[in-house]
Amino acid sequence: MLAGGVMGLVLSGDLFNMFIMVEILTFAAVALTAFRNRVTGALEAAFKYLVVGCIGSTCILAGTILLYHQAHTLNLAQLSTLIAGNLDVNTVIAFVLLFIGFCTKAFIVPFHPLAADAHGAAPAPVSVLISGVLTKSGIYGIIRLAYFLFQTMNLGAMQFWLVFLGSVSMFVCVTMALAQHDFKRLLAFHSISQIGYVLAAVGLSTALGASAGLYHAMNHTLFKGLLFLTAGAVLHETGTTDLGKLGGLSKKMPWTTALFLIGAASISGIPPFNGFASKWLIYQATYEKAAETGNIGFAFVTIVALVTSTLTLASFVKVTQSVFFGQLPKECEKAKEVSFGMRFAMSILALLCILTGLFPNIVQKYLTGPAGRTLFNVSAYIDGMMGKGYAQATMGTNMPEAGNRAIEIVGVWNPVNWLMLLMIALLAICIVAIASKYDAVRENKTEKVEAKYSLFYGGEETEFSQVGGGDLFWGFKHNWRHYFSFMHDLHSGIVNDYSLWAVVALALAMVYALIVLL
Amino acid sequence: MILDALKYLAYVLIFPGFLFCFLTGLLLAGIDRKLVARMQKRVGPPILQPFYDFFKLCGKKTIVPAAANKTVFLMAPLLGLASLVVLQLFIPVFRFQIAAFSNVADMIVILYLLLIPAVSIIMGGASTGSPYAGIGLSREMVTVLACELPLVLVLLSVGRYVGTAIGAKDGISFSLSQIVGYQLEGGSLITKASLIPAAIAFLLVIPGETGNHPFDAAEAETEICEGMLAEYSGAPLGVFKLSHAIKMLTMTSLFVMLFFGGVGAGVDNLVALIGLTGGAATAVTIILDILLMFLLCVVVTAVGISLVHAVTARLKIEQIFKYYWTVVSALALLSLVLVWYGL
Repeated sequence: MLAGGVMGLVLSGDLFNMFIMVEILTFAAVALTAFRNRVTGALEAAFKYLVVGCIGSTCILAGTILLYHQAHTLNLAQLSTLIAGNLDVNTVIAFVLLFIGFCTKAFIVPFHPLAADAHGAAPAPVSVLISGVLTKSGIYGIIRLAYFLFQTMNLGAMQFWLVFLGSVSMFVCVTMALAQHDFKRLLAFHSISQIGYVLAAVGLSTALGASAGLYHAMNHTLFKGLLFLTAGAVLHETGTTDLGKLGGLSKKMPWTTALFLIGAASISGIPPFNGFASKWLIYQATYEKAAETGNIGFAFVTIVALVTSTLTLASFVKVTQSVFFGQLPKECEKAKEVSFGMRFAMSILALLCILTGLFPNIVQKYLTGPAGRTLFNVSAYIDGMMGKGYAQATMGTNMPEAGNRAIEIVGVWNPVNWLMLLMIALLAICIVAIASKYDAVRENKTEKVEAKYSLFYGGEETEFSQVGGGDLFWGFKHNWRHYFSFMHDLHSGIVNDYSLWAVVALALAMVYALIVLL
Repeated sequence: MILDALKYLAYVLIFPGFLFCFLTGLLLAGIDRKLVARMQKRVGPPILQPFYDFFKLCGKKTIVPAAANKTVFLMAPLLGLASLVVLQLFIPVFRFQIAAFSNVADMIVILYLLLIPAVSIIMGGASTGSPYAGIGLSREMVTVLACELPLVLVLLSVGRYVGTAIGAKDGISFSLSQIVGYQLEGGSLITKASLIPAAIAFLLVIPGETGNHPFDAAEAETEICEGMLAEYSGAPLGVFKLSHAIKMLTMTSLFVMLFFGGVGAGVDNLVALIGLTGGAATAVTIILDILLMFLLCVVVTAVGISLVHAVTARLKIEQIFKYYWTVVSALALLSLVLVWYGL
């Protein structure tokens, strides 16, 4: 039902059908969240999702009704011709309602706590769907609204709105992720952080930004799917996702560890994986936009994006240290490598992560480039829907020019050549290493003389020696303690508060839009 | 074809690749140790001491802790070293740059390639399962985070400055070869008033990025037994030490190329005067350029690393973070704003 809803949403050319599809996929997601209803918190998470999701859906319905009242049609192409160029109070209010509605589906800040609860409670494959597919449908809705239906993307205020929301989402959620001590909740916050990248890139309204955003959306589906599956594998073997209770799984689950490292490197933007390829395009796009408009604000978006990427790396170092490396606790000793089927599913995603990272040009040329260009070609869509010449006839002077914008990239990045060089260097070093007997003696545990010198340099007992969990980055957290305690107080976990946030966000968006778009 | 392949192989293995990095990196580390010692009125080790250390370590037995993941434990040092060597290929030496490599990576990519050695040492340390490594990697990650913001600001201001100056289409240039090429005609970037704060900020970032004193909380020997290296012994430890030395070379040569770029030794006329032409003249200029770059690297090391090392005590990790995100970032930000408004 979820997949059907998403497909329906994407294929639908009618505003009311879009609403229906959004409803279908929301309720399917709610039901899936509560799937393991014996798990503590699953029903609570589903309830939260239901309440705030309903607020979003109500907004979409209200927006649809307003537009129907105005234009007496629900066909997107027809609506688009009628709205373009003559925004009035009614259409702006409808736009804000629809926009907030789709934001709840994409879990943009301030709707992010829902995602964390939902992912924490849902089984791993459901998390993959929610994070990989559902959030993208929200982004799709926003793109469709802003680019096609209202054609407002040429307005600076609108670009600022999207880029600002995107930047806030990527930064707030990555810091929230740093504070988590549950594997899946951490991943959930990261997924919104990455959605923030997508939104900021798409909001730039340049050809490069649009294709970079879409590229990152695709990559996010791949690496976040992989990471949720590895979290699921860990949960399957050990029965917990609490970072404080896990450790040392790399010896028990080497495949899962390797696949997790690929996913973590991808999401943290380590070259040459796919996360880097798309994030790099996003940095270029934001900085180019800044130079083009002379607005230093966009340069700060670049800086936030770059720093967020490193913060992402930090939180994945935390996961790696707490789950896969370090000491093996007694509870996890029964863990073993997951079955071939699970490994196979993860391997496909990991392979795709590597391939899309190594061949960004091909992805750009055949997948995201054309998709990005379509965004700027509204009249072609209208003509395609309503018959040739329709856009010209109804809109006349208001017709948007068919932008066939070229993608310009300032920097250079050639992952294949880099990888070849790295391989040559690594091979050479390995040959030297093997030739000079770079071999190891494993310390034999049975030979130990005294317990005092059992394992480590300083003689710590194994069970006290695990460093990890939520407090790993103390130095960082200490400096930002006020920020973190503020965030801690803010995320109360009470659904009333989150509903209030939704209403406040709606009100603020309404005020902003009425001021700047009219 | 085969000749080309051999040429690139020589680039990777000899110059500016592995052999060059190995020799100059360790030499730089030796000079640094000697300078610090002289500044503290000690005699200090011989300049070749890092070489002796490295070969000695290579001859020692490697012990893998019982809790460690052996593959990661042994591969992490090699990966870090290889990525550093490849990184050095992308940094031009004044006018000498390998055309085939200059379109592989730009400054933003280099920023992220610099993360790979850090990540590899973190992974290696994490794989031992040692509590010292746990604390060490946490601090290393925070140090990397701390350096990231000023470094980003510096690179963005340089990119913007050069982009505007050469009249690039969007007014930005991230390509190192373009930046070095601009300095050939426009003079070194250190002479531009608006970029001086950025240069100071970069100079302050160097010891943090390489993990030198006083920003070596991650490897505090007296406190957490070198953190991530606590369980390492033998050849892998030697490789990590080598990587550290090469990272000093990488950071200082990046600094030299970004801010002191230009005509290099500038001995074209002199070489012609002696009567050298063709290949011999090019060879002599390149060798003199390399020597000049190494000399500048030594100067940068002396000011940026050794002097700071000699006169300060180790900072706590939260102080490091605060220092980089306030003082150094403010300097770099000042530069960015100045460059942005064309002052």
